[in-house]
Amino acid sequence: MPLPDTMFCAQQIHIPPELPDILKQFTKAAIRTQPADVLQWSAGYFSALSRGDPLPVKDRIEMPMATQKTDTGLTQGLLKVLHKQCSHKEYVELADLEQKWKNLCLPVEKFRALLQLDPCENKIEEIKFLALGCSMLGGSLNTAMKHLCEILTADPEGGPARIPFETFSYVYRYLSGLDWDIPASDTESYLSSLKDSTRGEGRPSGRGDAGEEPPL
Amino acid sequence: MQTSCGGRRQAAPGAGEVAVLGGTREALARPWHVTELGAWVPRVCDRRWTKQPRAAPEERGLGERRQHRPRKATLKSGAGDRRHLGGRSQKPEVPWRTGLPPKPASRNFPEVPLPAGTPGCWATGAGGAGGLSAAPSKPSVAPTSCPGDFPSRPLPFLPPLLASRNPCPWHYVHLFGSHDTFVATCFEAKLHRKRSGLTLGVACTLTDRASPAMDTYTYTSRPRALPCRRRRYRDDQMQRAEEPMCYGNIMYDRRVIRGNTYALQTVPLPGQPDPAEIQRQQEAKRRALAKKRAQEQLRPRTPEPVEGRKHVDVQTELYLEEIADRIIEVDMECQTDAFLDKPPTPLFIPAKTGKDVATQILEGELFDFDLEVKPMLEVLVGKTIEQSLLEVMEEEELANLRAHQRAREELRHVELAEVQRLEERERRHREEKERRKQQQWQVVHKHNETAQKIAAQAFAQRYLADLLPSVFSSLRDGGYFYDPVERDIEVGFLPWLMNEVDKTMECSMVGRTVVDMLIREVVGKRLSLYERKEDRHSSLKPEDGLSGPGGMRDPPVGYEFQDHGASQAQRPLPDTDSLQRTPYDARYMERVSSQDRKLMEEEDEQTNEEVLQE
Repeated sequence: MPLPDTMFCAQQIHIPPELPDILKQFTKAAIRTQPADVLQWSAGYFSALSRGDPLPVKDRIEMPMATQKTDTGLTQGLLKVLHKQCSHKEYVELADLEQKWKNLCLPVEKFRALLQLDPCENKIEEIKFLALGCSMLGGSLNTAMKHLCEILTADPEGGPARIPFETFSYVYRYLSGLDWDIPASDTESYLSSLKDSTRGEGRPSGRGDAGEEPPL
Repeated sequence: MQTSCGGRRQAAPGAGEVAVLGGTREALARPWHVTELGAWVPRVCDRRWTKQPRAAPEERGLGERRQHRPRKATLKSGAGDRRHLGGRSQKPEVPWRTGLPPKPASRNFPEVPLPAGTPGCWATGAGGAGGLSAAPSKPSVAPTSCPGDFPSRPLPFLPPLLASRNPCPWHYVHLFGSHDTFVATCFEAKLHRKRSGLTLGVACTLTDRASPAMDTYTYTSRPRALPCRRRRYRDDQMQRAEEPMCYGNIMYDRRVIRGNTYALQTVPLPGQPDPAEIQRQQEAKRRALAKKRAQEQLRPRTPEPVEGRKHVDVQTELYLEEIADRIIEVDMECQTDAFLDKPPTPLFIPAKTGKDVATQILEGELFDFDLEVKPMLEVLVGKTIEQSLLEVMEEEELANLRAHQRAREELRHVELAEVQRLEERERRHREEKERRKQQQWQVVHKHNETAQKIAAQAFAQRYLADLLPSVFSSLRDGGYFYDPVERDIEVGFLPWLMNEVDKTMECSMVGRTVVDMLIREVVGKRLSLYERKEDRHSSLKPEDGLSGPGGMRDPPVGYEFQDHGASQAQRPLPDTDSLQRTPYDARYMERVSSQDRKLMEEEDEQTNEEVLQE
């Protein structure tokens, strides 16, 4: 209720009952996410909250590493956040994605650079974007795949990060396709071998298989 | 009075006075003997009077004891008296009184003045002498006053100290050798009192006279009303002296001891009773009495009757009063107001204290939002941050733990997988080894078997090598291989041959035998002939010898011929054979006959000898 016109004592100040809870959640999110620009991120947070979208919050606090800060600012956690935000649809609008990117206080140039790896118009497949982000994270295809597994996995953290083989193969093909060095035959052979080794489960795991021997 | 009594008492030590301690129980249970102090109270059935007085039970006061002990000597004397008395009167209650004032026997003797030395009831602490104070009119009652009654009476002596006690008309008079008997000393039992020397006898006779009248029932103690010194009627002050006896309810008599008697206070008798105390008590009594009297005087009374009139007591109550069980009932009513609800308590408004003061408040003076909200905000924000930090850290920690846990699990899984793999490999190796070993075993086994077989075969061969010839030889020896012709000859021909030979031999034998017979016959005939001839030719003896043998020769020839004929007779039988054998036979026969001849000759010689011998 609006404040009465004349208030006489402190007890008359009314605090909305939901306020503390909102504040707490916000604070916790902020602590976890550790955005570089709190204001920007808060704007993104509350707008997502008001829209009902997934929040740009990291699930786990990620200690910012010094190198990361200077390089891209993109971390696996942030990619995960992006993925979480965009995973409900297959194609994401670039504008939307950019906004989200900005909300995470990531440099926009990187975004542009990312998109240049695989130019597209308005929309991009979320998976592909993720893959590109993963490739930006790590140097090699292996690490990229590893990151991808860890991002995409449904397994609890610490366990084997397993993803469906189709996803893996798709992404692998995509990335290897982008990279001119790798011949397609190698890709296929690797994939087939991987498939045989995981024939029981059909789920390559980020730990085991990425630790094994892709041709790179 | 006390003193007088005491003096009197002392003067008459012979007053028989026995204090009997009566336990209340007994007193109530058994009819008490009321007697004047110093009176003998014989018990009818009690022969124990004759005995020495018993020692008082401990419940009795010292006084009693004191009384008893010194009295022993005297009691003895009294016992004799008593004996007499007791024997005489079989009545239970023959109150013997000593020293009673000469008075007609009346039932009520309110103030039997206790003799001075009356000990009174120690229980009630009634001083014998003191008790007598209430009855001043009987100074003459003294145990000593009737010396004639009991010439030798047991000394009653009751310690004077007891006399100071409250008067107790009921004395516990100890009966010699009897149970405690409650003796009311103030009882007059006047029946016998006044008699002087003959009192005893009169009493006895009286009682004796009385007794046969009511012989149906005997009392241990005759029921009688007790004298009571208490005034019975209101304006009775003047009549105290006249009234001989007062009745009282024993239940409300304060002289009756209630409760146990064994815990009563001991009588503090040693020493003289304090005269001052006694005086005080007596004075107090006098004062009370005077007060009562004064009040009585003040009480409004009916005026004196007019001249010529007299007050008469009139019964104003109903002469006849209906006695009915029905209780008179009267209905009464009373009306009260209907109850009202308790009204609500009015609000308590305390009285106003203090002063009213007014002041003017302008906008914004009282309340500044920013200021007021600051602490709130502090708390809000601070707490929020703090809490969220804590929570985040907690969650982080938990997540880390879980991550670690899962990582460890992963590792463990991998290790387990590795272990399993190794185990599997191990197992396979082991199985392989086992299999190889088995195979090897089998090979060796087979090898052994084969060697054994070979050896066995070689040995068997060698063993059986000469088996065959030996077998054959043995068989041949056994005759299993035979030449059939030979066998046939052996089996068939030769036996026949032998048979034939036998037959032939037999024939020859038979022939010979026949020949022998012939010869014999011939010889016999010749002999007979010769004998005949000899008879005829006794001279021809030398020729006999020749002819004899010659003759002998002829019969054998004859015999031979006969034999030959026999044999020839037999010959047609085996004719076919004999045809072949005839040359044989002939030669044979010749041979045989030669032989026969030799035989015959021998026989002849023998027979001749025989004959000759004959």
